[in-house]
Amino acid sequence: MRRKYMRSKAKREQSTPDIGSSIKETTIEKNLNKTVQIFQSLYSFPKNKDVTIRHFHIPALQKDAALLHISTITSAETIDTDILKPLMTINEAAQQIDDLITVPSTSKENKVKTICKKINEGSAAIFIDGEEEAILINVAKFEGRSVEQPQNENVVKGPKEAFNELAQTNISLVRKKIKSESLVAESFTISKRSKNELYVLYISDLVDDKLLANVKKRVQSLNTDSIQNLGILEQYIEERRYSIFPSTLYTERPDRAASFLEDGYIVLVMDNDPACLVLPATFWSFFHSSEDHYLRFMYGNFIRLLRLIALFISVFISAIYVAITNFHSEMIPGDLLLAIIATRDKVPFPGLVEVLLMELSFELIREAGLRVPTPIGPTIGIVGALILGQAAVQANIVSPIVVIAVALSGLSSFAIGDLSMNFAIRLMKFLFIFAAGLVGIFGITALFTVGFFYLVSIKSFGVPYFSPLAPSYQSSGDTIFRRTLQNELFRPGYVKPKDITKR
Amino acid sequence: MGQHENRVGTKELVAIIFIMMGVKVGDDTPPILYDVLKNAAWMGPIIIALLTAVILFVLFKVASAYKQKGLIDIVFHLFGKYLGWIILFVLWLGISAATIIDSSIYSDIIVTMYFPKTPTIIIYLLLMAACTYGAKKGFGQIGSVSWAVFPYITASLIIALVISLRNGTTAFFFPFFGPGEMEVIKESIIKTSILSDYLFLFVFIPFMKDLKSFKKASWIGLILITLILIGGIMSFLLIFDYRSVQMLDYPFHEVIRYIQLGFLTNVETLFFPFWLISSLVRFTVYLYISAVIMGRLFKINNFEYAIPALATVFVFIGYIPESPDYLIFHLRENLLNILTPIFIFLPFILWAVAKLKGDLRREKTN
Repeated sequence: MRRKYMRSKAKREQSTPDIGSSIKETTIEKNLNKTVQIFQSLYSFPKNKDVTIRHFHIPALQKDAALLHISTITSAETIDTDILKPLMTINEAAQQIDDLITVPSTSKENKVKTICKKINEGSAAIFIDGEEEAILINVAKFEGRSVEQPQNENVVKGPKEAFNELAQTNISLVRKKIKSESLVAESFTISKRSKNELYVLYISDLVDDKLLANVKKRVQSLNTDSIQNLGILEQYIEERRYSIFPSTLYTERPDRAASFLEDGYIVLVMDNDPACLVLPATFWSFFHSSEDHYLRFMYGNFIRLLRLIALFISVFISAIYVAITNFHSEMIPGDLLLAIIATRDKVPFPGLVEVLLMELSFELIREAGLRVPTPIGPTIGIVGALILGQAAVQANIVSPIVVIAVALSGLSSFAIGDLSMNFAIRLMKFLFIFAAGLVGIFGITALFTVGFFYLVSIKSFGVPYFSPLAPSYQSSGDTIFRRTLQNELFRPGYVKPKDITKR
Repeated sequence: MGQHENRVGTKELVAIIFIMMGVKVGDDTPPILYDVLKNAAWMGPIIIALLTAVILFVLFKVASAYKQKGLIDIVFHLFGKYLGWIILFVLWLGISAATIIDSSIYSDIIVTMYFPKTPTIIIYLLLMAACTYGAKKGFGQIGSVSWAVFPYITASLIIALVISLRNGTTAFFFPFFGPGEMEVIKESIIKTSILSDYLFLFVFIPFMKDLKSFKKASWIGLILITLILIGGIMSFLLIFDYRSVQMLDYPFHEVIRYIQLGFLTNVETLFFPFWLISSLVRFTVYLYISAVIMGRLFKINNFEYAIPALATVFVFIGYIPESPDYLIFHLRENLLNILTPIFIFLPFILWAVAKLKGDLRREKTN
């Protein structure tokens, strides 16, 4: 079966029509007209409206030339003032073109394929009659947003700039925080047709070479036509595709990326994604937020404690309600039991159905609230949350205590800022509700233990998910709580940094 | 043998030791001691621990002569292929019987105390299914989970015992020596096998970082176990007095129902999950030990794959006794009595044979 699939895949690859693939392998010729013709056919000129070819004469060299660029991704101003103007106006004799134009860097290429690649990335190519090489000048100017505030990972104290969809800007934001020559931004082309560029950022004298090699090997071995952004890339490079737990951290905050880099992690940046991927990720990296360290020791740990409580509430409270009403009514104090029974009196459904009904509506409100157009969003939220909940209770469909439990668990789940972990928690919640419906507290505890065994056994890029807690590694002990900055002496040992001491 | 890079260190082993033996305070171990030692039952753990310390000392002597070799290899080395096989087979029967009987008791605890309407077999199956999953993950993972839950289990146990001690009556201590000094010592020695799990821990030496951390963990673990057993047995005694506590099958669960925390009248909800997690981890370890020894005895290289089958067999054997209240406890007591001589004498025999073979001296000159 597998062999059959491979064979058909090989056949498909053979039959893929690659326009001008034979021309692409050639080098350019001395004859300017021939060269221009090659590129005209490659770029479907003049059908292709934003491809511009400008013929002109260079008086300084006494030669004809042509300039090719894609106008929508290049800066017209630079081309005009720094390239065309000097070339066409300077009359004194010069040996080479570098002496005439006034841009920071140029390069020479003779392979059609490479020239195409550069032009697609925003370079201008100058072909000169009688020359076997084209001159390539980087004049890229892609349109994009400016640097804005983070949308999902908000902080009260700390930097408020977020990544945007331009890799250049994103790398610049990181470099602003790490002014070091060891910060490397290596680039790889990771897709075959769309030629998407991926930047691998790391600090060369900290990162573990084995980890880096592993990451590089994985991003280079992707055999696909297009990878538009990090969300797609994440799914290509992760290890457990069916797991509910994420194994890469997706963050839109450059300060977070920088602090991970400084600990010896690897950061992936791409065009078209207003965030970066941090590898490897542990459970704690999803649990933490950057503000934990910006706030003073006590305040930071206070919000960590709150987040831990929120985590437990959002995972367990509905399940515990189901367990108690179905199995362990003797376990809760008498008055509370009476209160619950009194409200459940008129509800026609069993506890499990009641909770599932309410959880499902909450998830629906949440998902729909996310998709509604912004102007009517708040209205829908109020209708969904307030009126629906109120009416459901009055109609005796659910008991008010269930509304409290579900609302609390829904709200608490927002305390975990990371989107992937948020999903993981919501899915886990349903698993626990079913376990509680089956065998009460025993089901919850057994599932918890099994889940814990799973969590400690999984790895992200060779790093155990629950490290440094279990298995223990040398580190600053930044798990549930953090230490004072002066006592955070070590980089996390599980990423095997070349230099373990921080202070 | 599973996760090689993920070896177990001191912390993790202390946690495993505590969960394997310290948590016995929550099952029917205290009643077994109350039965014979009356109100001097709390002295039992001290005598047992002292004897265990001697046994451990001898075992370490033997183990350090064979660096990084586990109990299985040592037994095969010292007794040869056939006699070694028989000894290990007996040990395997011992640990398997302990797993079956204890898991049967634990599912009975869960059903009688918390799920009176649920069929035992369902609880039992789920219990062993969870343990099977954990055991299949390997020893490194068991160590990690144990270490992660260890602080919470210890804290919940200590809180429960401290609150119950507050409700106790100190007069129940007397007469101090219960049935008499000699009786206390004799009966305690017979029940030494309460800590016989230590013998099986020596199977895990190859899974450890080094022998030093194994030794360290064993001593720390022994102290912790002794303290918690003494504390537990004392507090049950002070609450119920020895006559009524003799009647109770599961004093820990009676105690957490009995005690109150201010306005919270039903605190067992707070303690039950922790006790349950510790039980699950405990049987995971038992199941794993049993599987490791079985793997060597019957030459199953990937013994992890045999764990589900083994667990299924355990469940069906454990489910045979119809009335656990009566039969199982007698089985457990008898098992403890049978295991004691093995636990006490095997280390000395190992040591003697190693000495005769000259392996111990070689270690010294090295």
